[in-house]
This record gives sequence, structure tokens and C-alpha cells, in this order.
Amino acid sequence: MGRTDTTTRRTLLGAAVAGAALAGCGDDSGGAPRRPNNASDAATLNSLLAFEHAVVAAYDVSEPLLRGRALRNVRAIADQEREHVRLLTGLVRDLGATPAGPRLPDEYRRSFPRMRDEHDALFFASDLEERGVRKYLESLAKLSDPRLRRTAGALGVDEGEHLAVVHLLRGEPAAPEPFVTGTS
Amino acid sequence: MRATRREALIGGGAVLLASAGAAHAASAGDAGLLQGLLARERRLENAYDAALRRDLLDAAVARRLRDQERAHIRGLEQALSRMGQNPPRAAKAPRIPGRERFASFALDLEAAAVVAYLQALERLRDEALLLPLGSIAANQGQHMVILRETLGLPLLEGSLAVS
Repeated sequence: MGRTDTTTRRTLLGAAVAGAALAGCGDDSGGAPRRPNNASDAATLNSLLAFEHAVVAAYDVSEPLLRGRALRNVRAIADQEREHVRLLTGLVRDLGATPAGPRLPDEYRRSFPRMRDEHDALFFASDLEERGVRKYLESLAKLSDPRLRRTAGALGVDEGEHLAVVHLLRGEPAAPEPFVTGTS
Repeated sequence: MRATRREALIGGGAVLLASAGAAHAASAGDAGLLQGLLARERRLENAYDAALRRDLLDAAVARRLRDQERAHIRGLEQALSRMGQNPPRAAKAPRIPGRERFASFALDLEAAAVVAYLQALERLRDEALLLPLGSIAANQGQHMVILRETLGLPLLEGSLAVS
């Protein structure tokens, strides 16, 4: 119960911050476009890739706890996360860097919360997807190549959709706030 | 009408930040991008408002979607004002289909809006706009999930980033 209240409050505050941030934009001349910085962009993408590897591992662990509609939809989410891994791996390579690889399954397991049932698995999934949204949104201003910003934005939209699906599976509104910030 | 807590939080914070500091001329390109996004948001708001009035969609769903589009509109209008730009007048409303086709029609509008936001992320000069516009795009993606559920479609389609 406390968790729900906290999540709601944080989500509200996050949405308020995003709305306020938008309203506060446009007070400068926009600035000159940044020079592409492949090394910096590769580091940003590798950080996202490491997170995606962890998310795939988390869904591997939670799938046995799910049944029916929840299992079908979480599998669809996990499939997209694997696509994100492949995409980010290719992008990092294209930038001349070495893509981050996955850790060992046991290493991931030790870092995950203990999950006993579907409720726990979906709670964890909600947390992961919130974090995913936040990471992609935060990456936008770090990426120097505008085309990568678009890709990161699209990945963030994917994570927002995943979050909506998990909300539905948990019996919550799919889109509780107009600005999705991943701040819970 | 009394504002909800959510509206108060968003609106209050927005007003505080919007009023802090003088507005300067922003890049014409950024303003043009925001105006294009605003036009799309107004089409969506208009569509969901019609859905609510004409019973084209479950009322609670239509109201939530409409109110979220209104929050996006307020944010975009305030950002434009801060750039010293007047928000454009609302364009002529699109023809709204009947109940049997409405959700599909809205899904197409939402998908087009997501693409427009992603294009904007690639073209914007003001980096401070990236996060809020990205957060709106993610919300539009969530609207697509709601509409797919209404249509009885799989909740997820192909990854936007990969396709």
C-alpha cells in the first residue's frame, strides 16, 4: 500500500516536472548543433545496452511465474527488449566501440528482488520499465548525433508502451499521466 | 472548474517556470517544429472531445486521453509563448468517423503524432526541449496501447526503433 502511494506521488511529481520543463523551454537561442562525438555516443549507448541485457535477464527469471494473458504479453515485451539489445549492439559497433555484453545469469539473479508470484513479477516489471523510460529520456540530451536521438526517442516510446501494458496487467490505468518520465 | 491535483502540479510548476526570466527569440526551426506538434495535439484533442460528446469511445477512456492531450497542448503553448511566438490558431477539425471506426482513426492519429515527435527529437536545436518532448512521445505510445486494447488487437506491435 505504501508502495502504491509512493509511486503515485512520485509519478505525479515527475509529470509535473516534465510539464514544467516544457513550459520553461525556449528561453535561449537554441545554440549551435553539437559536433558528433562517437566515443561519447558509444558510451551512452553502451550504458543503455547494459541495462537492456539486465532487463532481458529479469524477464527470463520472471516468466516462469506468469500465466495466460500476463505471460503472453510479458513475452512480447521481452522479445522487443531482445530486439533493443540487437539494435544497440549494432549501433555501438558502428561507432567503432565494443558493445557491452551480458553478465552471467547468476550475477543478475543476485541483484534482482526475490519474486514469488505473478504479483511480484509484474511489480518488478513495472519498476524495470519505469527505469527504461527514464534512461532513454535522459540519454536524449547526452547523444551528440541527432539520428541517435531519434532512435533513443523511439526506444523510449517502446518502453512507455511496455509500461502501459504492465500497468494494464496490474489492473491499473495504462497511461496514468500525460508526461511519462519514469520517475517512480 | 476546480483543477485536479495533477493539473495543479503540472500547471503550477509550468507557470512558475514560464514566468521566470525574459523570453528571447528562439530558433525559428524549433518554433516551427513545436507549432507542427501543437497542430497534431489539437487534432487529437478535438477527436477525443468529439468521442466523449458523441459516445464514440468508452467515456472514461475518451476523457483521460482528451485531458492528457490538453496537458500536452498547454505545455507546447507555454513553450511557444516563452519563445516569443504566438501559438497558431486551431486548424479546421478533421472529419470524425462513427463509433465503429473511431478507435482505428485515433490510433492512426496517435501513430502519426509519435513519428512527428521522433522527427522533432532529431531536428530540435534547444536540448532542453528533448526530455519533455520525449516524455510526451512515450505517453502517445501509451495511448496507442489503450486504443489497441479497445480494438481487440495485440497490445504491442513491432518496435518503433527497430522497424
